[in-house]
Amino acid sequence: MTRTRNAAEEPNTEARAPRYRLRLFVAGDEPNSAKARSVLARVCESHLRGRYELEVVDVFEDYQAAIDSHVLMVPTLIVEEPPPTRIVVGSFRDVDVLVDALGLPVAEDLS
Amino acid sequence: MGMGEEKLQSERVQSVPLEKARTFIPGLDDILEGGLPRGRTTILHGASGSGKTLLGLEFVYRGALNGEAGIFVSCEESIEQLRQNAATLGWDLPAQERANQLFLLDGRIRPDTLASGDFSVKGLLAIVSGKRREMSAKRIAIDALEVMLRLFDTPRQVRSEMHALNDWLQEAGMTSILTVRPPSRFSSPFEDFFDSMGDCVIRLDARVSEQVTTRRLRVTKYRGSGTGRNEYPYVIGEGGFRAAPISTVGLRHKPLAEKISSGIARLDEILGGGFRRGACILLAGLPGTGKTILASTFAAEMCSRGEAVLYLGFEESEAAVAGNVRSAGVDLSPHLASGRLKFLTNFPEAMGAEEHFMRALDQIDAVRPRHVIVDAISACPRMGGKRSAFEYLMRLLNACKERGITVLFVNQLSGADDYLEISGNEISSMVDTAVFLDYESSAGETNRVLQVLKSRGSKHSNQKREYVIRDSGFEILDAYRGEGEVLTGTLRQRQEERDRLEARRLAFEVEAKELELKRLRLALEQALEAIGQPGDRTVGAGSAGGVHPGQGDVDAAGGGGAGPGRERP
Repeated sequence: MTRTRNAAEEPNTEARAPRYRLRLFVAGDEPNSAKARSVLARVCESHLRGRYELEVVDVFEDYQAAIDSHVLMVPTLIVEEPPPTRIVVGSFRDVDVLVDALGLPVAEDLS
Repeated sequence: MGMGEEKLQSERVQSVPLEKARTFIPGLDDILEGGLPRGRTTILHGASGSGKTLLGLEFVYRGALNGEAGIFVSCEESIEQLRQNAATLGWDLPAQERANQLFLLDGRIRPDTLASGDFSVKGLLAIVSGKRREMSAKRIAIDALEVMLRLFDTPRQVRSEMHALNDWLQEAGMTSILTVRPPSRFSSPFEDFFDSMGDCVIRLDARVSEQVTTRRLRVTKYRGSGTGRNEYPYVIGEGGFRAAPISTVGLRHKPLAEKISSGIARLDEILGGGFRRGACILLAGLPGTGKTILASTFAAEMCSRGEAVLYLGFEESEAAVAGNVRSAGVDLSPHLASGRLKFLTNFPEAMGAEEHFMRALDQIDAVRPRHVIVDAISACPRMGGKRSAFEYLMRLLNACKERGITVLFVNQLSGADDYLEISGNEISSMVDTAVFLDYESSAGETNRVLQVLKSRGSKHSNQKREYVIRDSGFEILDAYRGEGEVLTGTLRQRQEERDRLEARRLAFEVEAKELELKRLRLALEQALEAIGQPGDRTVGAGSAGGVHPGQGDVDAAGGGGAGPGRERP
């Protein structure tokens, strides 16, 4: 976590704070996908408000996107920006894993 | 998923005959009696290096070539690697991809992938489902499934995902191969689980024994179909995977046909008219007794009659054999020039028994010989052990018998007692005619003697005949005169002599009793000591366990020491 703290936390970097481009692959509204969407939405709103783009891809509607991104598991989150690319699969039961993947400080109130 | 489990655990009712999807892989469809179960799942087990990736890919590729589009999911190798490997086998994957007959999916999970909470293989299902519609795909292979499953934490998750996948594949009517490497992290419960999921289970096994790789394929389960559970050899070579089916012994064998000359008139007389076409002839003897000359005489005789002969040599080159027998009056050169006589010479150690067999089979199909000579079967254990040798010879013999080809096995014995090993070997029951060449001490000199121990379907003489090898060829003298002369005149020696003759005959009739053999061994030891032959050290060694009646030849070959449950801890 210390690894990413500087970029996210330093006060004077607010303007230069990284913008996030996220793609979440889901399968309709099956439970794992629904859970992942809601957890991700909460984390983004509380940490990344105003500086993220989230694209939700339903693999059954756009399987080509799944092929292109090698998404075999659902749900899968791909953090495309900022680099390096990070991939998290699952319903984010352990939010810390997600928060860490986004390079954010772990907070108590998120779970 | 719970429903899936119940469904899978109960045997499906096969109300209609099982439809099969041909693999189009040489030999495999014969083993599978038509192909893989259509619309069902086949589990393919194999360690790395066994060729399971290749088999899965070939199934899809050959399907594509034959109008059944297919999907290959690679969980381990990159698509580019696959294309390159395939290219070395002469497969043009890109052409099939362009034709939308083949789709290669990179199913590798990035190693830095993090997991949190629950997930499923629905991404894979969505892709396969979409592609299936798009291409009208009928077959699929998922390679190294266990790699993908590593992402799941608990066995329960693995099971439930596997059921979801399998149920979906079957509902979609896909003929599927799921390849799995034997347990590393996923231990035997998973192996059983995978097996329970497949309607057909195939195991590939690549073993290194005596520095030669032997590859075997076994069908350990085939729901609704009665494939044999033998082990079948396979090779991976030019063109890809190739398996060698064997027929049930005798089932498709051609009957023995008319008599054909051995090339030596007097031997024909002793044999009761000659060899039988399509027979298995065993020609055994100590070094220097002229086995190769006798075999070559037969080859030359057949070639002169316009019949093609294939000579499988393991010791000497074509030129060396031709040169050696020429000095004994057998000229092979016109037959080599005409192409009627064809040599295939390879050192036994050069490759595994399977490859030896495949190469021989290739030559048999190319040359279409009426007769095959194997010189010598005693070299075959160097292909990777006695069992490999035995299987090689049985398969070769089967292949020839099915084609009505005469087979002449030359067997070089290291000691006079070795023929007992042959009789203990299951091959003896397949031998139609056995000719034994030996040295005999008589009247103070050592002579060569020939004896026909067996000649199925002919009235033959058991009498020993002395022969000489002149520069005009192999010449059998008048009936053996040794008995009753000065040095063999004592009653005891005559009795020993009769014992030897009788025991030899019995050995080939498979009913040799242990006591008699012990007595025979003793007699032989004494006889050999008397004539001071080299090789007497081997007398009695290794043959005690070798005297078993030769029954159930190929079953013994396939099942011996490798029962279906062997791999499980």
